[in-house]
Amino acid sequence: MRICISDDALAIACGADRVAAAFAAAVPAAEVVRTSSWGMHWLEPLVEIDGVGYGPVAPGDVAAILAGTADALRIGDVAAHPYIARQTRLTFVRAGRTRPTSLADYAATGGWAGLAAAQRMGAAATLAAVTESGLRGRGGAGFPAGIKWATVAAAPGPRKFTVCNADEGDSGTFADRMLMEGDPFCLIEGMAIAGLATGAGKGFIYVRSEYPHAIAKLEAAIALAADIIAPFVVEVRVGAGSYVCGEETALLNSLEGKRGEVRAKPPLPAHAGLFGFPTVINNVLTLAAVPWILVHGAAAYADYGLGRSRGTMPIQLAGNIRHGGLFETAFGVTLGELVDDIGGGTASGRPVRAVQVGGPLGAYHPRADFGTPFDYEAFAAAAGLIGHGGIVVFDDSVDMARQARFAMAFCAAESCGKCTPCRLGAVRGVETLDRIIAGERRAENLELVADLCETMKFGSLCALGGFTPYPVLSAIRNFPQDFAR
Amino acid sequence: MTTHDNLVAMANQIARNFEVLGDAAAAAATANHLRLFWAPQLRAAITAGDAGLTPVASAAIRVLHADGL
Amino acid sequence: MTYAPQPDFGTPASGAADLVTLQIDGRSLTVPAGTSVMRAAAEQGTAIPRLCATDSLAAFGSCRLCLVEIDGVRGTPASCTTPVAAGMVVRTQTDRLAKLRRGVMELYISDHPLDCLTCAANGDCELQDQAGAVGLRDVRYGAGGNHLGQAKDVSNPYFDFDPSKCIACSRCVRACDEVQGTLALTIAGRGFESKVSAGLASEDFFGSECVSCGACVQACPTATLVEKSVVAIGTPDRSVITTCAYCGVGCSFRAEMRGEQLVRMVPWKDGKANRGHSCVKGRFAWGYANHAERITTPMIRARIDQPWQPVSWETAFAHAASELRRIEADYGRGAIGGITSSRCTNEENFLVQKLIRAGFGNNNVDTCARVCHSPTGYGLKTTFGTSAGTQDFDSVAHSDVILIIGANPTDGHPVFASRMKRRLRQGAKLIVIDPRRIDMVRSPHIIAEHHLPLRPGTNVAVLTAMAHVIVTDGLADEAFVRERCDWDEYQDWAAFVARPANSPEHLAPVTMVDAGELRAAARLFATGGNGAIYYGLGVTEHSQGSSTVMAIANLAMATGNIGRPGVGVNPLRGQNNVQGACDMGSFPHELAGYRHVSDAAARALFEAEWGVAIDPEPGLRIPNMLDAAVDGRFKALYCQGEDILQSDPNTSHVAAGLAAMECVIVHDLFLNETANYAHIFLPGSTFLEKNGTFTNAERRIQPVRKVMAPLTGLEDWQVTQGLANALGLGWHYGHPSEIMDEVARLTPSFAGVSFDRLDAAGSLQWPVTAAAPEGTPVMHVDGFVRGRGKFVVTDYVPTDEKTGPRFPLLLTTGRILSHYNVGAQTRRTANVAWHKEDVLEIHPADADDRGLKTGDWVRLASRSGATTLRAQVTDRVAPGVVYTTFHHPATQANVVTTEYSDWATNCPEYKVTAVQVAPSNGPSEWQEDYAAQARTSRRIAVPAAE
Repeated sequence: MRICISDDALAIACGADRVAAAFAAAVPAAEVVRTSSWGMHWLEPLVEIDGVGYGPVAPGDVAAILAGTADALRIGDVAAHPYIARQTRLTFVRAGRTRPTSLADYAATGGWAGLAAAQRMGAAATLAAVTESGLRGRGGAGFPAGIKWATVAAAPGPRKFTVCNADEGDSGTFADRMLMEGDPFCLIEGMAIAGLATGAGKGFIYVRSEYPHAIAKLEAAIALAADIIAPFVVEVRVGAGSYVCGEETALLNSLEGKRGEVRAKPPLPAHAGLFGFPTVINNVLTLAAVPWILVHGAAAYADYGLGRSRGTMPIQLAGNIRHGGLFETAFGVTLGELVDDIGGGTASGRPVRAVQVGGPLGAYHPRADFGTPFDYEAFAAAAGLIGHGGIVVFDDSVDMARQARFAMAFCAAESCGKCTPCRLGAVRGVETLDRIIAGERRAENLELVADLCETMKFGSLCALGGFTPYPVLSAIRNFPQDFAR
Repeated sequence: MTTHDNLVAMANQIARNFEVLGDAAAAAATANHLRLFWAPQLRAAITAGDAGLTPVASAAIRVLHADGL
Repeated sequence: MTYAPQPDFGTPASGAADLVTLQIDGRSLTVPAGTSVMRAAAEQGTAIPRLCATDSLAAFGSCRLCLVEIDGVRGTPASCTTPVAAGMVVRTQTDRLAKLRRGVMELYISDHPLDCLTCAANGDCELQDQAGAVGLRDVRYGAGGNHLGQAKDVSNPYFDFDPSKCIACSRCVRACDEVQGTLALTIAGRGFESKVSAGLASEDFFGSECVSCGACVQACPTATLVEKSVVAIGTPDRSVITTCAYCGVGCSFRAEMRGEQLVRMVPWKDGKANRGHSCVKGRFAWGYANHAERITTPMIRARIDQPWQPVSWETAFAHAASELRRIEADYGRGAIGGITSSRCTNEENFLVQKLIRAGFGNNNVDTCARVCHSPTGYGLKTTFGTSAGTQDFDSVAHSDVILIIGANPTDGHPVFASRMKRRLRQGAKLIVIDPRRIDMVRSPHIIAEHHLPLRPGTNVAVLTAMAHVIVTDGLADEAFVRERCDWDEYQDWAAFVARPANSPEHLAPVTMVDAGELRAAARLFATGGNGAIYYGLGVTEHSQGSSTVMAIANLAMATGNIGRPGVGVNPLRGQNNVQGACDMGSFPHELAGYRHVSDAAARALFEAEWGVAIDPEPGLRIPNMLDAAVDGRFKALYCQGEDILQSDPNTSHVAAGLAAMECVIVHDLFLNETANYAHIFLPGSTFLEKNGTFTNAERRIQPVRKVMAPLTGLEDWQVTQGLANALGLGWHYGHPSEIMDEVARLTPSFAGVSFDRLDAAGSLQWPVTAAAPEGTPVMHVDGFVRGRGKFVVTDYVPTDEKTGPRFPLLLTTGRILSHYNVGAQTRRTANVAWHKEDVLEIHPADADDRGLKTGDWVRLASRSGATTLRAQVTDRVAPGVVYTTFHHPATQANVVTTEYSDWATNCPEYKVTAVQVAPSNGPSEWQEDYAAQARTSRRIAVPAAE
C-alpha cells in the first residue's frame, strides 16, 4: 500500500504530519510517502492511497479510510478532480506527484532535460528561446525575462550573478513557497539555465525567513544537485522580515548585508546589481517556468495565453473563498471564472463584495470588474494589476474604508523609509482616512487623500509607495458608500 | 657624550652607510657628504687620528684635510 | 562681500570625455555623458528643487522633489538619478510637477518644527529655501504623528544634533560613508521610524565611531546637524577662501565670518587638495586663535628666572637688535642663528632665512623639517633630482596597489586618508608596513591585503627584501629602467638586493616579518597595476631615514611606478608648510629652490638681489647649534613658530643648550616650552590674521588670506622685517606678494608664481615655469629631473640603539587624530575632549610581565631620561614595542628619546628608543623640576601704573 501525504507547510499546518503518523501506526507495512501538494487547500491534508484521494483527512478518519467507509472524504482520482483537470500545469507539473527532494523522482519526470537542452543549444539559443517564449517576470512587474537576460549577457563585468527573488510577501500568495517546497530542483534548474545563458557563475535564492520549510528543502536540494548544475553554484540567503526586501533593489542591498533600502534606478540591476555586478533577478515562478520552455520549445509555451501575456500563470486563490488553492492556467481566464466558478464563491457563503488582485498593493475590484481577463494589460486597463497572481476575496461584511486605511497602514509598516512620499505619506494617509472614517471634514479630507495618492503614485521611489494608491483609490472609487457612513 | 664624541659617532655612521660601495669609494663619498652638509667648524673639529673613528671615516677625514677641508 | 553658500550642482560632475546633447525646458545644451539631468539643468542655470541631492555625494533619489518629465519615459523620474541621454527632451517646470513637488513638501513640513525665525539655520536652510521654491502655502494635514520635541544630542564639542529637525535625507549618513569613509552613522529603524543614529542606538555622537570630520554637518540641509558656533554667533555674513594651518594636506577652507568674528570653517569644494573635505582639526579646532593664553604684546627680560616685561614693538626690536649685535661682537658671527617655521608662510620663512643669511651673515638657519622630513629632501633629491613628492593627491584615485609605510594617514593626514579609503573601497589593494596595527589595516570596508608588522628600525631591511623578491622573481620593469634610469647603477643595485643575505627568509629574524607574507606583498606591488607608495615619519625618523627614502625610490623605479597618475613616491608631510619651509631655503646648506650654498651661480643671484655676500659653506643644523651652545660657542637664537624644547629629541640636552644661550628670541602665539628659556618674546599672528602662501605635501602653493586683523598689530612677516630693520637691513616690503615676487625672481621652480596667478588659479603646484605655466601635478613624466633615475644601494645598518636587560622594550612615537604636533594649538581647543593626555600603548604580554593594566601610571625610562604617563594595554602594538604620542608638555615624551639620528641629515631617531616600563605613582624628577621652572619662567610682570 502506497500512501501519499503532502509535506507542504500548509498541509502540515492542517495536520498532515499527524495524519501521516496515524497511517504509519495503523498500517506498519504500508509505504507512507511525503509528496508535494496538489494545491487544493480546502482538501488538505489530502491523502492519496494507491491513486485514490481523500480529504480533508484528520487522524480520526484513518480507520474509516482503511475500512473503506470514508465516502464523505473520498474524492477519487486526484488528477481527475475538476479543480486539477481544468488547470494547465506547466510550472507545477509535478505538484502532488513527486517527492520534493527526490532526485530520482525529478529525473523520472523530465527533470534536468531543460538544462541539458540549454547546454546543448548554448547561451545564445537559450536566450532566444526564453525571449521567444514571451515569458514575463512573474513577480509582478511583468518585464520580459528574455530581454532582461540578454541585457545581463551583454553587460560587461568580471562576474555576474543570478538572483532568485523568493521573498514572497504579498498577502494571499503562496505559489513561490509551494514551488520551493514541492519542486525545489525545478527552481535550481531554472537558475542554472539562467546562469548558462547570461554568464553568471553563482546564484542566490533570497527566501523570506517565514518560510523555514522552503529553506530546508532548498538547502537539501542544492546539496543533492550540486554536481549536476556544476560549475554553477547556488546559495540560499534568508531575509529578515521586511516586505520591501521583495523589491529587487532592496533585496540586493539586503543580500549585500546592507540596510534593506530601495535603490534608485538607473542603474538597472542588469547593469549594476549584486555588489555592482550585472545581475539577473527574477521571481521563483519566472525561473521555474524556464526548464519547461527549454524542453518543449518557446513556441509551445507561447501558444498559451492572451495578447502580450504568454504562457501560464500560477494563480493563487485566497481569502474568504470556498476552494482556495493554486490554480495554474493560461492567461485569459476571467476574474469572475476564477472567483465564482473555480473558487466557488466565498467560504462564508455570503455574497462576494470585493476582490483584491495582486497582493496588498493591488486594486479592490467590485463584481462589475469580473469580466476582466487575467492578463497584465487588461488589469492595467481596469485600474488594477495582477501582480504575483494573488486573489483575495471579501464578502459583503467588509468595510472598504477600513480596507483603504489598512493599505496605508501596511505601507507605513513596511516602508523602508527612504523616500518621502512613502515614509511620511503613508502615515498621513492613515491619519487622514481615520478622520474620514470619523466623519471629519470628509470632502476636504477625501480630496487630500486623492492628492496624497497622486504624490505617492508618481513620487515614490518604488512600488510600495507607488502602488498603495491602487487599493486606496479603488476602494474609494468602487465603494464610495463605505466612506460616507 | 661630548660634542666631539658625537661628531666622531656621526662621521662613523655616515661612513658605515657608504661602506657597501667599497672602502675607497666610501671614503670619497663620506668626505663629499661632510663637505656638503657639515659646517666647516664641524669638519675642522675632527682629525683622521681621532680615537674611535672607523677606518673609512678616518680615510674620509684624511681626504677632506688633503683638500683643505 | 555678502554671504552665499558655494554653488551646488546636486550631483557630482561626470568625468566622461564624450558629450551628449539634450534639451531642457526648450533649451538645447551639451554636457558630458553620465551627467545627471539635475546637474545638466543646474549648469544651464535651471534650479530643480531638491533636498537629498548635493554634489559631494552620489545621487540617492530619496526626497522626490526633483521629479521631471521626459518625453518617452513613463511617470516622473527623479532628475538626480537619471543620466542625460542624446536627444532627451526634459521638462522641469510643469503644473503637474509643481503639484507633485508641493505635495512632497507638504509632507515634509507636516513633520517639521515651525520655528524658522528662531532656528540657527534661518536663512541658510535648504528646506526653508525649497519650501519657498515650490510655492508651498498651506499644510492641510492636521495634527498627527511626528518627530518633534526629541532631545538634542549635544555631546560633540563642536556640533549639535537635533533629531526634531531631521528630514531623513541620509545626506549625513552618505557623507560619513562616501566622503569620510568612517561609516559611523546609519539610519536606524525603517519607515516613519527611520532616524539618523551614530552607531548603536544607545550611543551619542561623542561616544560613537564619529571622528568629527564635519562632513555630516556640512551635508545637512537643515539645522539638524549644526555647528555650535553658528548657534552661538549666528549665520555668517561673508566668507574668505584660505588654507588650513594644520597638517601637510593643506585643505582649502572658506572662513565664514560674521563681522570680524569667525563663525565657522567650511571646506572649500574647489580646493584641489581636499576636494571639499575636512578633519576635526581644520574644520573645528581653530578656537586657539582667540585663546586667553595668546600673547599680544612683545616682552623682554634679562634672565629667564625673571618675570616677563611687556614692551612696545619698537623697544623689543631695538633690544633684540642690540643683543644680537652685542653677541656677534663678543662671540663672533657664527654664534648666532635662527630656526624657520613649517607653520608659517612661505614668505615668512623666506624672510627669516634672508635675515640670517643677509643680516646675521652666516648660514646658521635650520627648520623643523630637520626633525621630520629632511631625509625626504636628501633621498628624493639624490635619486630623482627633486626634494619633493612626485604626485598630486588626485593621483590616488588611479592607484591599483597602495603601499603605506611608516605613516598613519587616518590620524596624521585624515583628509587624504579619506580620499585613499575611497579608492580602496573601489577595490584598490593595500599593503601596510608598520609596527602598529594602524586603522588603515582594518577599517569599515577596508582590509589591508598584507600588513607587515616589522620591528622598529628595520625599514631598510624590509624594503630590500621586497626588492630581492621583485628582482629574483623577474618582476622588475626593466624596460622602464633602461629607458629612464642609469642601467649600470640599476644592475649594481639589482645584484646587491638579489644576494641571498637580502632574502625575506634571511632577514626575517631581523625584521620579524613573515617571509611568505613579505614575498606576497612584494609580488602584489610589482604586478598589481599602478603602484603608489605613501610614507611618513615612520620612514624618516630613523638612523637610516634617508636610506629608507632611497629604498622606496628604488622600489618605485624598479617597478616602473614613476611619472604618471596613480603611481609615485609620496611623502605625507607633517606640518602645513614643511614643504614650503624647505623650498624657501631654510636648510643651512641650501638656498631657496634647493641650490647648494656652494653653487656660485645661485649665490650670485641672491648676492645681487640682496646686496650682501653669502657664505659659501653650510651652516649649523639645530642639533649642532645646541651642541655648540652647550660648549659655549653659540649664544643667540631667533626661533620662529617652533617649540624645539618639546618637539626635539633628548629634552634635557635641548634645555641645557637653550639655558646656555644669552639671547633666545621666541616668536610664537603662546608662551611655549621653548619660551621658558627665552629672553625676548615676539608675539605671533595666526594664519587667520595674515596674508601669504603655504605649500602642501603635493607641492601645491596655496593662498593664505587674512580674515581678521592681527591681535598683535603685526603679521609675522612684519615682525621679522621689524627685527631686520632694527639690525639696519632696510627692508621695505609692503605686502607678502612682494616677497613672493622676490622668491620668483630668485628661484627657477617658482618663476611663474605670483599672488595674482594664485588668485586666478586657486593654487599652483611647483615647478611653475615657462615650460609648465600651470604648474606640475605629476613630476618626472618624461624623464627624471636629475636626468636619469639613480638607484642607490641601501645597505641595512642596524641602529646603535639596542634593547638590553636595562631597556628591553622599543618605544616608537606618533600622533593622534585630534591633536597636532606639540599640541600648542589643539590643546587650546575642545579637541582635548578626545585626548586629554598622552598614554603609553603596551602589549598585553608586556603589561602582564609588569603587572600593568590600562589606566595605571607607568614610568617610561631610557638612557636619556624618564617620564610618567598612563598605560593603555592593547594588541595594536606588537610584543616588545610600546608607543606614545608627544602632544602634551606634561608628558614630554622627548625626555626619553635619544640623540641618535639619521646618518645623512641628523633627523632624530624618534621612532626607536630602547626603554623600560615600570609601575609608578607620580611624576618623574624631570617632570617635577620642569614644572617648577615653567611656573617661574611664565610669570609676566604687571605694568606699573603710569
